[in-house]
Amino acid sequence: MKDISFSMKSNEVVAILGINGAGKSTLIKCLNRILSPKSGDIHIRPHWSNLKETNLINISSLDLVEISKTMSYVPQNVATSFPMDVFDVVLLGRKPHLSWRISDEDRDKVSETLRYLNLEDFAFRKFNQISGGERQRVIIAKAIAQDPNLFLFDEPTSDLDLKNQIQIMKCIRKIIKDKNNSKSALIAIHDINIAAKYSDKILLLNNGSIMAYGPPSQVLTEENIAEVFGVKCSISSVDKHYIRVDVDDEI
Amino acid sequence: MDSISLQHVEKGKYQLLIILGLAVFTLLSAVFALGLGSSSNLDMVTSWKIVISDTKKFFLNIDTVADNLWYNLTACISSSSCEDRSLLHGIEREGTNIQNAIIWDWRFPRILTAIVGGIALAVAGALMQGCLGNPLVSPLTLGVASGAALGAAFAIVLGFTILSIPELAIVANAFFFSLVVVTIIIQLGKIRSISAESYILVGIAITFICGAIVSTMQYFATDAQLSQLAHWSFGSLSRPSGGNVILMGLILASLLPTALKWSWDLNTLSMGGDEFAISTGVNPSKIRKNILIVSALMTSIVIAFTGLIGFVGLAAPHMSRLIVGNDFRKLIPCSGLFGAFLMIFADTLGRTLFAPIVIPVGVMLSIIGGPFFMYLLLRRGGHH
Repeated sequence: MKDISFSMKSNEVVAILGINGAGKSTLIKCLNRILSPKSGDIHIRPHWSNLKETNLINISSLDLVEISKTMSYVPQNVATSFPMDVFDVVLLGRKPHLSWRISDEDRDKVSETLRYLNLEDFAFRKFNQISGGERQRVIIAKAIAQDPNLFLFDEPTSDLDLKNQIQIMKCIRKIIKDKNNSKSALIAIHDINIAAKYSDKILLLNNGSIMAYGPPSQVLTEENIAEVFGVKCSISSVDKHYIRVDVDDEI
Repeated sequence: MDSISLQHVEKGKYQLLIILGLAVFTLLSAVFALGLGSSSNLDMVTSWKIVISDTKKFFLNIDTVADNLWYNLTACISSSSCEDRSLLHGIEREGTNIQNAIIWDWRFPRILTAIVGGIALAVAGALMQGCLGNPLVSPLTLGVASGAALGAAFAIVLGFTILSIPELAIVANAFFFSLVVVTIIIQLGKIRSISAESYILVGIAITFICGAIVSTMQYFATDAQLSQLAHWSFGSLSRPSGGNVILMGLILASLLPTALKWSWDLNTLSMGGDEFAISTGVNPSKIRKNILIVSALMTSIVIAFTGLIGFVGLAAPHMSRLIVGNDFRKLIPCSGLFGAFLMIFADTLGRTLFAPIVIPVGVMLSIIGGPFFMYLLLRRGGHH
């Protein structure tokens, strides 16, 4: 990937679209140092109160704890041989903020987050005894408890059924659009229609660089989709906010 | 506070109470085990009387005890014709000399070894399972123990020893060869992208290699050597002396706080794997390397003195998980206590069941611990 540069605002949901191997996940994982680039650098210019900087910061100069306080990554799924209680999983989000003891504020932050995502009934169930959609919500709750400025989602809906996909996307929007916080989300996703419906902007990746970046109606044109995905499709407006993409056939 | 938070606090308190209860229970079983044995001139009540009165005298005459300890440490080095004094030398005692010897020179170091060894192996098991994210891992998985066995075989069969002191030759060899394995682990940790599976696979490879070399030596060994080697590999608590146990205990005590310090890192790593850990601010490869080194050291110091004891390191962490869950801040202490208890229980049973024949603790642990472990896991519907 080369020459990728874009900016995001607070309270904004940005979806990354592209074919398999286009670098959607790679981009997200490089941002919070799960992956390090073989060559070259990644810079951010954060306007977050805890990491405010007018100059560019090289990501590799930050330590992992610092990064984890400003960015939180939500993987496609989490599988474990050693499941904890849901409450304790969400509590792990407080890990960057505590040393050994759990303070009352930490606990209350977790409880508040569980209620916010309607997970209070599962608080003391084991992580592996709840459904896939619930598990995904727990991991999102953990990310919220971490209190980051930027959420990074790596295909959060790919393992879920239709209803759970909608629930998760609505849940993400609810967090980001909450005007009490200034948070934003970057989501790598496959489903064009879910991206079009739930994101404010779309970042279209092609051959390791940005092909288009902007509101869904501008980025998702028949020509762009044909070039990136190699499929014929027709675009229709549902209302003045939403568009729908109907895929006909491969080209 | 929020009602969910309160519930969490309550649950934590309850688990802490269980751990405390387990500690008291383990201590009581150690005292009980001190009174159990096959000796015909020492019954349980007399044993306890001796234990209580000697303990009292120990603390009341702490200056005499210190004098005796000082004498052992200094006088015996300068003169060759000197015998170590007992710590209560010069104080009138409750029991006869034989009774005192049975309790303090024979049973006491043995039970202390059971406690120290049980804690070390169980904690090492919990740490390794957590940082490798694999419930099948035990302290023997990384090949530390096979390294120790190879060292012992070198000493017994080839007479090749690191230390020339006869009593310590096998121990020193076993420890040195297990350190070689620890060095291999450290080297592996330097590879940038080494995964948890690679550690396990390399450990299995080391086990096979050491096993093959030991088998080759056995092929050429005499009957006496074979039997000595077999005895070593059984794993027994009768070998370490009082001084050995204190050494083991000191090393364990210096390593345990480090292990506990990593509890939160282990929680994230064992719960969600590497990517999850990184996004929570934990560097998985660094933590994994450090934890494996500490737990390998814990394992090798115990195994060098006792021989192969494997099962406690696998089972004690799993049994503890059933009680306190996967929070390592509680799992580490709980596993240690469970390990100590299992060792005391298995060893006491082993030396009383067919007395005067003593069945080695390693064998006993697997025979009684195995079915109990399977029962616990299956009762839970095989969730593990």
